Amino acid sequence: MTAPARTTSTATRRPRRSGVRSGEAASGWLFITPVIVLLGLFLVLPVVMAAWVSLSDWTGRGSPFSDDVSFVGGQNYSDLLFGGGLATQDFGTALRNNAWYVVLVVPIQTALSLFLAVMVNRKVLRGSSFFRTAFYFPSVTSSVAITVLFLFLFSATGAVNKTLSALSVNGPNWFADPRGVVHLGLGAVGVDQAPSALAGSGFLGISAWQWLAGPSVAMCVLILMAVFTTSGTFMLLFLAALQHISDEVDEAALMDGTSNWQRFRYVTLPMLRPTLFTVMTLGLIGTWQVFDQIYTGTQGGPAKTTVTPAYLSYTASFQSQQWGRGAAIAFILFAIIVVMTILQRQAIRGRGGDAT
Amino acid sequence: MTRTNSSRHHRLAGPATIAAAVLALTACGGGSGFDDPTPGATADPTTTEEPTSGEDPGLTGEISVLIGSSGDAETDAVSAAVAAWSEQTGVPAEVNVASDLNQQLSQGFAAGDPPDLFYVSTDNLAGWASNGSLLAYGDQLTNVDDFQPSLRENFTYDDQLFCAPKDFSTLALVINTDAWADAGLGDDDVPTTWDELAAVAATLTTDGQVGLSFGPEYQRIGVFMAQAGGGLVSEDGTTAVADSAENVQALEFVQQLMSDGVVAYPSQIGAGWGGEAFGSGAAAMTIEGNWIIGALRNDFPDTSYQVVELPAGPAGQGTLQFTNCWGIAADSDSQDAARDLVEFLTSTEQQIEFATAFGVMPSVQSAADAFAEQFPEQAAFIASAQFAGGMPTAQGAVDVIADFNAQLEALASSSAQDILGSVQTNLQAALDAQG
Amino acid sequence: MTATPIHEPAAEPAPVDDDTSSSQPRRPQTWRSRLRGGRAGTSALVYAVLLVLAIMYIYPFLIQVATSFKTDPEAVSNPLALVPQVWSTAAYERLFLRSDFPIWFRNSVVVTLCVTAGRVFFCSLAGYALARLRFPGRGFVFAALVAVMAVPGVVLLIPRFLVVKQLGIYDTFAGMIIPLLADAAGVFIMKNYFESIPRSVEEAARIDGASTFRIYRSVVLPMARPALITLVILSFQGSWNELAHFIVSAESAELVTLTKGVAQLASGQLGQGSQFPLKLAAAVIMTIPVAVLFFVFQRRIMNSTAGAVKE
Repeated sequence: MTAPARTTSTATRRPRRSGVRSGEAASGWLFITPVIVLLGLFLVLPVVMAAWVSLSDWTGRGSPFSDDVSFVGGQNYSDLLFGGGLATQDFGTALRNNAWYVVLVVPIQTALSLFLAVMVNRKVLRGSSFFRTAFYFPSVTSSVAITVLFLFLFSATGAVNKTLSALSVNGPNWFADPRGVVHLGLGAVGVDQAPSALAGSGFLGISAWQWLAGPSVAMCVLILMAVFTTSGTFMLLFLAALQHISDEVDEAALMDGTSNWQRFRYVTLPMLRPTLFTVMTLGLIGTWQVFDQIYTGTQGGPAKTTVTPAYLSYTASFQSQQWGRGAAIAFILFAIIVVMTILQRQAIRGRGGDAT
Repeated sequence: MTRTNSSRHHRLAGPATIAAAVLALTACGGGSGFDDPTPGATADPTTTEEPTSGEDPGLTGEISVLIGSSGDAETDAVSAAVAAWSEQTGVPAEVNVASDLNQQLSQGFAAGDPPDLFYVSTDNLAGWASNGSLLAYGDQLTNVDDFQPSLRENFTYDDQLFCAPKDFSTLALVINTDAWADAGLGDDDVPTTWDELAAVAATLTTDGQVGLSFGPEYQRIGVFMAQAGGGLVSEDGTTAVADSAENVQALEFVQQLMSDGVVAYPSQIGAGWGGEAFGSGAAAMTIEGNWIIGALRNDFPDTSYQVVELPAGPAGQGTLQFTNCWGIAADSDSQDAARDLVEFLTSTEQQIEFATAFGVMPSVQSAADAFAEQFPEQAAFIASAQFAGGMPTAQGAVDVIADFNAQLEALASSSAQDILGSVQTNLQAALDAQG
Repeated sequence: MTATPIHEPAAEPAPVDDDTSSSQPRRPQTWRSRLRGGRAGTSALVYAVLLVLAIMYIYPFLIQVATSFKTDPEAVSNPLALVPQVWSTAAYERLFLRSDFPIWFRNSVVVTLCVTAGRVFFCSLAGYALARLRFPGRGFVFAALVAVMAVPGVVLLIPRFLVVKQLGIYDTFAGMIIPLLADAAGVFIMKNYFESIPRSVEEAARIDGASTFRIYRSVVLPMARPALITLVILSFQGSWNELAHFIVSAESAELVTLTKGVAQLASGQLGQGSQFPLKLAAAVIMTIPVAVLFFVFQRRIMNSTAGAVKE
């Protein structure tokens, strides 16, 4: 596309002399080289190394490329996916936890940020910049600081339980409660034990009953934390998009006599489709990688209900010294993220068909 | 503009240099990374091969010590001891407290840059000995015969004593004497059977206080399993016996206590561990080891306590015993100095000092009598050593136990049989894998 | 409020003033105010909801600051109060005098400054090259950058440790800083902005015989200030709040940064017990620099966040 020496230049285009051209090419390469080196060394090379480690039996001492380390093919992957032992169970548990996290966080944060954006978008609203600031501030802080804050707020004698007790509700011991929310709900209607159909061994070493356990109470706090910290960022994305929707379109809709809700649903929402897609994609990518909050707050507990694949990859490598397994988990996670993103792109494109 | 000229030129030189340096480092790093040093062969050619002992002025090097501390008491005691040795021998040494000992050691081993001296628990010995991270120096110590035989056993792998046991602890029942008296209980009421324990815990459970609290882990609940006659691994170490009827009985006993409301996990009563629950008054009794002595003295000096042996279960008395050793890294450059430091730290006098500071029991037989004399309040801990069992040391067992612990957190709402069944499967797999 | 996002230099479509001349049965102002929900009742409701939500977003931070000045027992017994019964600076004292907190702070500052400066420099160079300079392989580099941006961070956690170890910069400041300089998104931000600068200025300079670097440095870069500031803000925030990379790239106590140190604090390292005021004090101090940066540059941050992500 950038054909260097063949432009049919007119007098007004840049006078191309080979001296200037080669100087430009040299400068171009010079300018871009540091970034290429950095990205190559610290993005490409690591991925290549990790791929090798995931296919080898490196135990953690010395270089992964030394002669002692041998190629074991897909054994690490098959141990994880088909082995059935503790490795598989842990991986299944991590996937289950993260899946529930994603399923809850992405819709909630999308809906909440859209709601906030719509509310804040009203132009007669005075102090809208105050509201924008308030909602966006949590996104600026570090996940570590927020986790520490939530550890305090949701402790057994913390602010949240104090507020709940003022409403005569006995709050659970949030971060120490491993009971799944769905199980709790089912227990409330009398289903206390696993029905025999679901109790057997299911997918990835975890029974279907355990898959359906829902996020644990501790995980719910993490879900709240995620929504709290990301709704501000996405609110801004929606705000920008809303402001680009020309007022003429809205007025036309109004003139047709539509109600507010109809207008929102049939006019505004479709025009927000690209932003919706962006928000949901970013949400998906972010939620499948949750690590910082687990490391700081719960370290996988209680009862392994907040272990996520990212955290499991870390502990398998750095604590159990199973480096091949840790790398394999990371790549499986990569694959999951890519597949999810593609699926989601299809889903959004399919509904309505307009290519934006 | 001229100022920005020159600064820009310098800044252009900067990244070019960085890029060049990084590329050069790749070449160097790649080079050194490719020849993998064989474990154990990193002996410094300038030091002699015979083990040095005592205050040998010929010791060289620098020692970094990494410990997993139970609290300020332990940190201060170890730091003081290491500093004293350092002054004596002239070898600089530094003590660091790990926030996550396992992770930091793993990272250090993987990076080829571990600390010289560190705690190794029975859980990790198999893993790190087998991948060559540890130096097997135990037989080279001058005081090797002084260590308690059972502790030596714990740290022998592949017929080599890999490291010197630094101390050991057993679990016993710690009672809050004030709460005890308030509930109208006397010396005769010290529980000696499970039923008595349940009764006493019920009596001690009041509105703001739960009768008994202990951590949700095999490292505590395992005492009940031992008292019922069960355990995790068979005598010869090749078969898992986790799903035995005795173990089920033990877990169900604990479940009963929890459902009666007389037993709670520390996290449920706002504490981080049993000692904190006990010291803060949230629990009237706890099951903990020797380390609680130092912690109570430091953090909860006003709580008066008494240590008694755990009650007997259906199969008699039983408890768990824990021990750590001083591991020396195979990659260490100062192995001789490290060995000398270990001898210093495991000497009779030093062990009694540690015992005084944070209440662990000496690992050497020569200190046993002095300990019993000096610390009568810890008599129950020493006496419990008679019927104490250790943790499984098979490679991979630690992950199985971690999974067991995760399930124990939800013990109140789970089936004991199911939990033990899964532990059985996983543990047998681990035992089979190590062959 | 409708400030221009970086990469869209085109002006907004003209507002609907044209309709004043058309034969609408009602006056446009009324339409517009209907549009924005101008009726008093809805307004009050909207305000109320927004206010409640805003309080829910802000209150935790107020509690955080208040608790850092409480004593340990009071933090547990009285978590909701915004004013401590007994003001106590014990937490801050312990933090600054009897822990490694000052070292953590210093390390975070060093790393953040270096990463920010490095990123600004490298990304602006590369962005300019991609936007304006023609060199063979440019298309390939561009495609590679896009591909690289797709790699999720979690995959890089362990491998970066391996690479840093292989390069021999493990457990050094270099190992903590250099990998963070690799930032494909920053290159994109700069590239998009440079593309929006009219070429005429550069052409004039080139005709005057200036070298490429001279043009970049003296002509184009000063015009890219908004994008540069955005890059500074994003880099600062990103490196100040980074955790995972600092966990794996260093292990010694002198290289612990604020994020790693506070994370260790949260898992109970400075002694047993809950010690909430201490942990929250650490979190407060950690948040102050980014908060200050945020409040100073809020408008720019919020606009650029909205604009920069549009692809």
